[in-house]
Amino acid sequence: MKIVSMDVMSTGVIAYYVTIASRKGLFTPIFSGVANRTYADPVPQAVILTAIVIGFSIQALMLVGVMKLAKDNPTLESNEIEKNNTPS
Amino acid sequence: MNIITIIWATLPFFLGFTIYLIPKLDRYLALLGTVVSFAYALILFIQRSPITLELVDNFGVTLAIDELSGYFILTNALVTAAAILYCWRSDKSAFFYTQAIIVHGSVNAAFACTDFISLYVALEVSGIAAFLLVAYPRTDRSIWVALRYLFISNTAMLFYLIGAVLVYQANNSFTYVGLRQAPPEALALIFVGLLVKGGVFVSGLWLPLTHSESDTPVSALLSGVVVKAGVYPMVRCALIVGEIDPIVRSFGVATAFLGVIFALFENDTKRVLASSTISQLGWILAAPLYGGYYALAHGLAKSALFLTAGNLPSRSLKELQNKPIRTSTWIVLVLGSLSISGLPLLTGFGAKTLTMKHLLPWQEIAMNIAVVGTATVYAKFIFLPHGEGKKPKPGFWAAIVLLLGWLFTANVLYPQAYTVKDIGKALVTIAGGWLLYWLIFKRTALKLPRVLEEFDHLIGVMSLVAVLLFWMAFSWLGISY
Repeated sequence: MKIVSMDVMSTGVIAYYVTIASRKGLFTPIFSGVANRTYADPVPQAVILTAIVIGFSIQALMLVGVMKLAKDNPTLESNEIEKNNTPS
Repeated sequence: MNIITIIWATLPFFLGFTIYLIPKLDRYLALLGTVVSFAYALILFIQRSPITLELVDNFGVTLAIDELSGYFILTNALVTAAAILYCWRSDKSAFFYTQAIIVHGSVNAAFACTDFISLYVALEVSGIAAFLLVAYPRTDRSIWVALRYLFISNTAMLFYLIGAVLVYQANNSFTYVGLRQAPPEALALIFVGLLVKGGVFVSGLWLPLTHSESDTPVSALLSGVVVKAGVYPMVRCALIVGEIDPIVRSFGVATAFLGVIFALFENDTKRVLASSTISQLGWILAAPLYGGYYALAHGLAKSALFLTAGNLPSRSLKELQNKPIRTSTWIVLVLGSLSISGLPLLTGFGAKTLTMKHLLPWQEIAMNIAVVGTATVYAKFIFLPHGEGKKPKPGFWAAIVLLLGWLFTANVLYPQAYTVKDIGKALVTIAGGWLLYWLIFKRTALKLPRVLEEFDHLIGVMSLVAVLLFWMAFSWLGISY
């Protein structure tokens, strides 16, 4: 559950980047015959692509970890897992 | 020189993949990567002129490397090399060495770049590779600790990303310089990310559990260099944008204090070391311009201590009072502890003196108390009984000789510290710390509650720190739109 909510957070950040990119205009910044259109800023979009990939891979890694943990903690309550695995 | 820089930055990643293709050569290739970094750091010291690189216009990657990053890179090279040597004769698979060298590379990248997005990528890569290293034993506990680490650092980095785009919006560029024109919330969000990643102040309380529950060489690696990847950018920002300097310094003092308090009331060797890492990170931040030397001294001593702690007969300090440690191991433990306490002849002394000289007046009293506290913490290790004990693992001595050798050699970098006054001061503070230990802390068995280290609270504290930072940025800096 926590992992899914983290994904929601990262989606929020991605959406924010896209919003900032489109503040000056909405057109795709591709060279075409029409001059002086209001283009969207390509830089934040390019940057967030990296973040999407990283977020995705982290997501995958964490789910694998959770799958391993699920063997002994089938309910996956993070409080319980924490209690079992924290040294006193 | 530019080409050398680019080769140096990309080589560890290249080596990491090669190790996977040729698993037979794993440890040799990994060691080669650290040797290259080491040579590169030496070139930086000899050359003494900063290198700046700007790739592809002002949107692209910018790198800036000078003496300050030279210290950090040197630390990184030595500590990673020691960790690899330590594992030399163990049955670790090629996977382990791949991750180790990728951590090395990404931390190097974090020490070199000066724009927020390259830093983001470097920190995330180091986070993922560190996650894999912590989870390497595949036990339930290690997986949980690793998950907790990755979750916290990833959440922090999301905050950081929002901050980064705000900087971009204000400047149309992601470089550190842009922080000056950016709104205060950008500074707050970026610093939340870095504080968490660097294990500084209350947001760094994930650190004791993670560092103490990992495998011995991994804790050495994490404590020695990985956290510094989060601290270095703050130091760099404070140098580039002078207005941030007081914020960084005050966090430094607060962290130095907090870490010492946690370490004083701890009874587990590895947790004492991990808490003391928090306090030492505060020292690096307390005088940003000279943080590099301190980072070197701390990285060497702390990783030597962690490697030693992995070879003690027990982890509990109480039990160690009755179980003697092998004398040769004990000597290493004492040398490491003395260096962090700041005894002359060891690098820790030069580093402490240098930092102390460049503190602002309001920091001085607090930091002096922190020095005494540190000496008290390490007295716990120094006054342990020694005699016949179990032999350390093979590979231990190779790593230790490297680390301790440099702990003595690195003194050369700052010989001005050796004045009668400073030596006297260092000896007095250490004596004071030991006295405190004998009078008070040897007898008390107080235990601090660990509420703040619970998973939910760590995330909650993160947002509280964000509010605090926002207030600081808003009222202290007066950055205007």
